Amino acid sequence: MTTTRRNLFKFAGGGAAGALLTPAPWRLITDTALWSENWPGIPRPARGEIRARFTHCTLCPAGCAVRARCVNGQPVSLAGVKPHPISNGALCPWGIAGHHLPYHPERLRKGPVQEATAAVARAISQRGAGECVAVLDLRPGRTASLTYRRAMASIENGIYLAPRQPAYAVDLAAARTVVSFGAPLFDGWGTPGNVFAARDHFRLIQVEPVETRTGALSDVWLPIRPGTEAAIASALAGDMTIAEAARATGVEEEAIGAVKEAADRGSTVVVASDPGSPLMSLNAKLGALKHTVVARRESPVPDAWKKAAPVTEIAAAADGAIRVLLIDESLPGGYVPWREIEPKLAANAVVAVFTSTSQGYARRAQYVLPAPVYPEVAEDVGPAIDTVAAVFRVAAPLVAPLVPVVNPAGFVAQIAGLPPGDPLRERADAIHQTGRGTLLSYADGKSTPVKEVAADDFWKTLNQGGCWMDDAGKKSAPSGFGWPVTWPTRHDDLPLAVVAAEFNRGGLASPLMSKLERESNLRMAANHVVLSPADAHASGIENGSPCLLETACGRMNAAATIDPGVPAGVVEVAGGPRMAELCGANPRARVVRA
Amino acid sequence: MTNQTQRAARSGMSIDIDKCTGCGACMVACAVENNIPPAPETANDRKGITWIRVYKVDNHLAYPERRTAFVPVLCQQCGHDTPCAHVCPQQAVDVDPATGIVGQMPERCLGCRYCMVACPYHARYFNWWDPKWPAGMERTLNPDVAPRMRGVVEKCNFCHGRWHAAQQKAAAAGKREIDAADYVPACVEACPTGALRFGDLNDSTTEVAQEAQRPESFRLLEKLGTEPKIHYRSRRDWVREIASAPRPEGKDWLRG
Repeated sequence: MTTTRRNLFKFAGGGAAGALLTPAPWRLITDTALWSENWPGIPRPARGEIRARFTHCTLCPAGCAVRARCVNGQPVSLAGVKPHPISNGALCPWGIAGHHLPYHPERLRKGPVQEATAAVARAISQRGAGECVAVLDLRPGRTASLTYRRAMASIENGIYLAPRQPAYAVDLAAARTVVSFGAPLFDGWGTPGNVFAARDHFRLIQVEPVETRTGALSDVWLPIRPGTEAAIASALAGDMTIAEAARATGVEEEAIGAVKEAADRGSTVVVASDPGSPLMSLNAKLGALKHTVVARRESPVPDAWKKAAPVTEIAAAADGAIRVLLIDESLPGGYVPWREIEPKLAANAVVAVFTSTSQGYARRAQYVLPAPVYPEVAEDVGPAIDTVAAVFRVAAPLVAPLVPVVNPAGFVAQIAGLPPGDPLRERADAIHQTGRGTLLSYADGKSTPVKEVAADDFWKTLNQGGCWMDDAGKKSAPSGFGWPVTWPTRHDDLPLAVVAAEFNRGGLASPLMSKLERESNLRMAANHVVLSPADAHASGIENGSPCLLETACGRMNAAATIDPGVPAGVVEVAGGPRMAELCGANPRARVVRA
Repeated sequence: MTNQTQRAARSGMSIDIDKCTGCGACMVACAVENNIPPAPETANDRKGITWIRVYKVDNHLAYPERRTAFVPVLCQQCGHDTPCAHVCPQQAVDVDPATGIVGQMPERCLGCRYCMVACPYHARYFNWWDPKWPAGMERTLNPDVAPRMRGVVEKCNFCHGRWHAAQQKAAAAGKREIDAADYVPACVEACPTGALRFGDLNDSTTEVAQEAQRPESFRLLEKLGTEPKIHYRSRRDWVREIASAPRPEGKDWLRG
């Protein structure tokens, strides 16, 4: 056989074609895929010693107990603590991804600390007669809040401002019927684990114009016309006939009658989306006080702290009187719209905000100072609305601050010249000295009477995973629940009632929240509005088209969705600080084509 | 061999739709556990990766008769004629005979997406982008799960990393079978209402097996005969009826 050029080509071609029928090329492709898995751009999770650490979530007043799985001390996942009697092992999605916050790309990483310190000190010393120094605390009830109050008491004309806080607690475990006026009971109202633990024992009647997450799982949903909650409340109180209430709300008489019957059976509690709403006074009429609505009990404080400035609502401050305003926005909490703050400021006021984001008050203040985020700093968590017994819970830090941060309470204490110290430790010692209550340790699930625990061990357990719970004392009735009440005036100047169908706490959230928003549309994004087909048609708005939400206070660009599940005359939005700025006390709006 | 077959577990889940508030804790816990990165700004509900996705569904009536429910949908772990396993040209999908869990091997995956087409539950997701986390956030990755590369398909595997960890624990204790309490997927652990339960469907003493037998229990697209191991239940008739729909339908914006 002679080797010719032609035969060589035939052999090569035949070999190549035959190779395709062997596993070799497929194996090559597989190996290529294996190689691509190790591309340098793909991060490799760190390995190391794995152990559990405990803390408390500070992202809302619920203060759920948290078990962090840590690799070499770095938290890689968070979960609830099962034996906890209040949080019952539950965490909300924000809490589950809370350990991502220090790395959030939009986190504030630097600020003019020296300049702010000098400017605040200068303004305090140069302020005129009648001008005051104020701290606005968006999360009252913490030990840091007491530091602010002590600091303001030590400064002449110092005032402590805070959003209105409920002076009561709701005992869901004692309730058999819950009448909720738009309260997001299953979506951020109280402590998730506590609410769900009590859920099987009460009947939920949700009164709201659109069916929210809570309404979807309620036993009865009363789809009232927006702004007619007072009619239902008056009917339940017996001040209005059921027929009149039915006419006012658009709900059938039978439905209102059944609700009244259930509410009159006893063990009823009324809750509202705004804890300070006059609707809460219905509890007095239904006999809920001292039973399902009780006076809030406070954790003990050191005697030296008794001299503290009282809590003042922003509306009570004199116009143009605040020369220095320090805003603690480090934790998401009650939001006070800027239009309520601005008139209270002096012409040459110095405003500094402690925050972790450039949103919110950072857009208004002269000095924006970076604050630590959860879980970077030791902090305690104030009581939640559904926490009946007094508790003391320390959120021990899980990581060191990643950027240079300013501790807001430390800053204010320094400005006021308070003696240095560790307020959390002082308060823990004060609690321990009372000998009251029990100490729950999360690592072993043991409850120990405080009397049997040494002071150092008490403090150590609080920091390593534990909480103090006061004894179940005698229930007492809270004050401020008079009936009849004066209902706020309704404004119908704009055609649509704004209804917040989505809970939004504001502040930083883990980048993984994209899973719930744009990756799945499970939760409504902040720039979305939902309209009924009739209202959309009247405004010439098509599904998915851009639009403008106009209120008495401003306007917002949004994307519109048309949904027959929304009643005519209502625009559904995601709640939160932005909506508070836009709507305030008058949740009315107009939606027009952009 | 016979004994092994008899001992084989059939891991499954029971989901009480009447308890699901649609909070999304399961979705976030899943992403944390399985190192699923946040999607880029351009992502939408078709390109995002959510091994478990909670759909908001409704009864298609207008206000005020409209009623909504939340349905968590994850890989249904088909127990018979698993469609994705059949079509995979790379054998990147397999069904573990010991647990019944349908596994996905991203190292073998070519990204052809036949499995996504074959899956009747839309429970498989394609990596459109390189896995990227914000700077520093890589430190929070779970060391038990390798991030997947761009161009491969991934899906729920009942937190295989946790299963391995439970096996190691059992082996260290000299046991052959894992303790049920040691192996719970992240979504089940995270559910604040207890709507999700996990266990062995072959063990009649487990809650999940008992709940699967209840009259209000149903499975998605049961008529296809794929024998899904995710059992849903609801007392609401209209919720049970959606099980025969090709995909839970909701508001238009649910579809991006």
